[in-house]
Amino acid sequence: MEPHVRVDRITKRFGRTVAVDGVSLDVDEGSFTTLLGPSGCGKTTLLRTVAGFYRPDAGDVFIRGVRITDVPAHRRNTAMVFQEYALFPHMTVAENVGYGLRLRRVPAAEAAQRSRQVLELVGLVGQEQKFPHQLSGGQQQRVALARALVVEPEVLLLDEPLSNLDAKLRIRVRSEIRGLQQQLGKTTVYVTHDQEEALAISDRIAVMDRGRIQQLGTPLAIYHHPANRFVADFVGLANFLEGEVSGPGQVRAGPVMLAVPDGARAAGPVTIVLRPEAIRLHAQAPAGAPNVLRGRITAMSFLGTLARYWVDAAGRQWTVDVPSPGEAVMRGEVFLEIPRERIHLLAAD
Amino acid sequence: MAVARWGELRRHAADPWLLITFAGAAAALAIFVLYPAFRVLVYPAWQDYLAIPRSLRWLQAARNSLVMMVISTVTATFVGLAFAFATTRADMPGRRFFRSVAMLPLFAPPFMVAFAYILMFGRQGLVTKSLFGLSANIFGWHGLWLVQTIAFFPLAMLIIAGVLDAVNPSLEHAARNLGADEWTVVRTISLALARPGITGAMLVVAISVLADFGNAVIIAGGFPLLATEAWFRMEGMGDLKGAALVVAMLLVPTAGLFLLERFWVSRRVYTAVTGRGSRIERPATPGFLKWTVLAVCALASLLVFLVYFGVIAGAFTTVWGRDWSLTLDHWHLAADRIASLWVSVKIGALAGLITGAVSVLVAFLTTRPFQLRHALDFLAVLPGALPGVFVGVGYVLAFNTTIIGGTMWTLAAALAFWHLPMGYQAAAARFKQIERSIEEAAVNLGATGLRVLRDVYLPLLVRALVEAFAVSFIRAVTNVSIVIFLIAPGQVVATFVILNMIQNNIWGAAAALTTMLLLLTFVAIGLTWLSVGRIVRSPGVG
Repeated sequence: MEPHVRVDRITKRFGRTVAVDGVSLDVDEGSFTTLLGPSGCGKTTLLRTVAGFYRPDAGDVFIRGVRITDVPAHRRNTAMVFQEYALFPHMTVAENVGYGLRLRRVPAAEAAQRSRQVLELVGLVGQEQKFPHQLSGGQQQRVALARALVVEPEVLLLDEPLSNLDAKLRIRVRSEIRGLQQQLGKTTVYVTHDQEEALAISDRIAVMDRGRIQQLGTPLAIYHHPANRFVADFVGLANFLEGEVSGPGQVRAGPVMLAVPDGARAAGPVTIVLRPEAIRLHAQAPAGAPNVLRGRITAMSFLGTLARYWVDAAGRQWTVDVPSPGEAVMRGEVFLEIPRERIHLLAAD
Repeated sequence: MAVARWGELRRHAADPWLLITFAGAAAALAIFVLYPAFRVLVYPAWQDYLAIPRSLRWLQAARNSLVMMVISTVTATFVGLAFAFATTRADMPGRRFFRSVAMLPLFAPPFMVAFAYILMFGRQGLVTKSLFGLSANIFGWHGLWLVQTIAFFPLAMLIIAGVLDAVNPSLEHAARNLGADEWTVVRTISLALARPGITGAMLVVAISVLADFGNAVIIAGGFPLLATEAWFRMEGMGDLKGAALVVAMLLVPTAGLFLLERFWVSRRVYTAVTGRGSRIERPATPGFLKWTVLAVCALASLLVFLVYFGVIAGAFTTVWGRDWSLTLDHWHLAADRIASLWVSVKIGALAGLITGAVSVLVAFLTTRPFQLRHALDFLAVLPGALPGVFVGVGYVLAFNTTIIGGTMWTLAAALAFWHLPMGYQAAAARFKQIERSIEEAAVNLGATGLRVLRDVYLPLLVRALVEAFAVSFIRAVTNVSIVIFLIAPGQVVATFVILNMIQNNIWGAAAALTTMLLLLTFVAIGLTWLSVGRIVRSPGVG
């Protein structure tokens, strides 16, 4: 099947800095793709290139196989939700939402009906005559979304749309956005630096760094099978150990010998990635389990849904998360158990 | 990164209509700003320039202008500083009152202070002769000094108050906390941080003093000054070349100060960065300073009141200095010349419309991708460096023989483009406040270049537009320095009539007509206030 949106070897420079460096990305129809990365990684630049605000120095953008690289921004149908919403402050909610339809010369009756439908979708019926400054942040966000959706864009672009909302609202609105996207089957490209947000709402995530896509995959794959140390470090928390494959299913990391999944990696230096919640903590040595280390708790931080421990073992510090800790607090001597199937190996950088 | 991304957007949004508009605006600025200035500078032959050092009269005028610049700037800035201090500190009594008083000279026609002080302190002066029985002579440099101090301290006050107000009170509290006493805080923190603002204020006042024609022509008497010399050359001797030479001489210091202000001082302001988010009370003002500042402000306020009182009283007094009975006779005489007021309104409205439209258009165009946009920006602020008399002579030389020569259009254009910098800078500042993504959102939804101007920027700039109109209108109807050169036959404006009356000692009618002009000004301010909900400030220069 032909991808709905295709980004083909896009390079974009600003002066001497290369913001996007030869990136290719296919976005399937109806999918929700997230560009995730730290600030300056090129994610916003890539999104804005799709919107037509930037002309790439090299490469092309296609929609349904049609090259649109030279189509000016105002003639692409790539509606965008801006980070700061960019609502027209002198227009009411209705006028903001209707603006794109007005430019498209949609007859008034049809425009009114479409606006109403979209406002219903985002739950803003009754607010039509208000001005943006009379709305809460969350409501402004919905107007921005409605304004983009009403023109029935080929692809919906969202540039960190939740960054101006408080933490609770952010979680609510993100599931609303995802719900709407699935309900409408709208092809969506979403930019964020928040890895949790990306994991929560995406079909696929493209993790970006220094102008390149480091890994493209489902949230599960990105989290559990990061392609490199950057991805492992940026998405979630991880313990890293430098080691060497010493035999089949065996890795030596300093004084520690670990049993790893069979057929993981044949030979050579590796980086071991261990998520904090993958490690189990025991007060007594567990009987019969492989990969057990004796350690000592040096610090603890209670986070409600989990307790985070810092443990000294085998000459280094480990971060270990104990889920659902209740009121139990562990102290002093402990044993770390590392289930072999939760160990992820990377070729050493 | 933001800058580069903006540049890209502009390139995409560019379209032929935008290009044509840009070319049109650039041509208008070249014709109405650059060309007259160019004409002035090339009108005298280079031998004439070389002969300047041999003309005693001109050297005297230049020296006098510089002396006035120094003394009036120092006193006006000092009084302005006192007012700025009195109006920005919460523990100063009467701050609202002083703020309003300081606005009053800004709305007075640029000859009114001098006129009023002749009435108050002159040979027939109410204060000097009738109150104290003195035989005072206000004409000359000392009279002008007093007049310019009162006329221009509000400019200094506005600039310094802006800077003082922006000094974060936390800094002052931090200094107190570290052991500084009240006086040390003011000296080492408040005033130290305001220093660039004070310097900037001095430069702006200095330009105004140099260019001050209205007050000088009335009260300087036989004291030659560059600003008035040009007019005497042309009016008295028909010496256009001499006039051009004098205004060219005047341009050197004004342009120099202007460049200094624009490229040096304005980049050195430390305080502008902080918003007005936290409004904590400032530490107490030291008592000694408090009372000194209050005394200065009280005296200056009294002098400001006398400006308005003198003119309004003059309009109702039978024979000033001799017969203090009330009369309405002057109003009959003034009513005979009321036609001149309508001409003023007509020309002022025309100038205001041109200033408003050109301001917003040029402010918009300078945000577009054109390579020449910095040149456009420069042309739009350049008139701020030109004294009114320079513009007047320039327009005479540039347009007298053209189709608009001798019509009200020349005058309207001269006034409109001379006032462009204020409108343009206000509009440009407003543009900067508008989030760029708002324009991008419009483009993203399908709007083209000029459509963005119409749908997004114009509605958001209505206020800037109205204010530019109002300021330009008010300054146009009260102007003398340009009017006096470009008055068209059959199109005599009120200020010109008033000036003639004053010079012929027809004080009563002059006062009555000035009072009408004041009414007109305040009606304009009121209407603007009603439409945009804010008081316009019209710095009155030249």
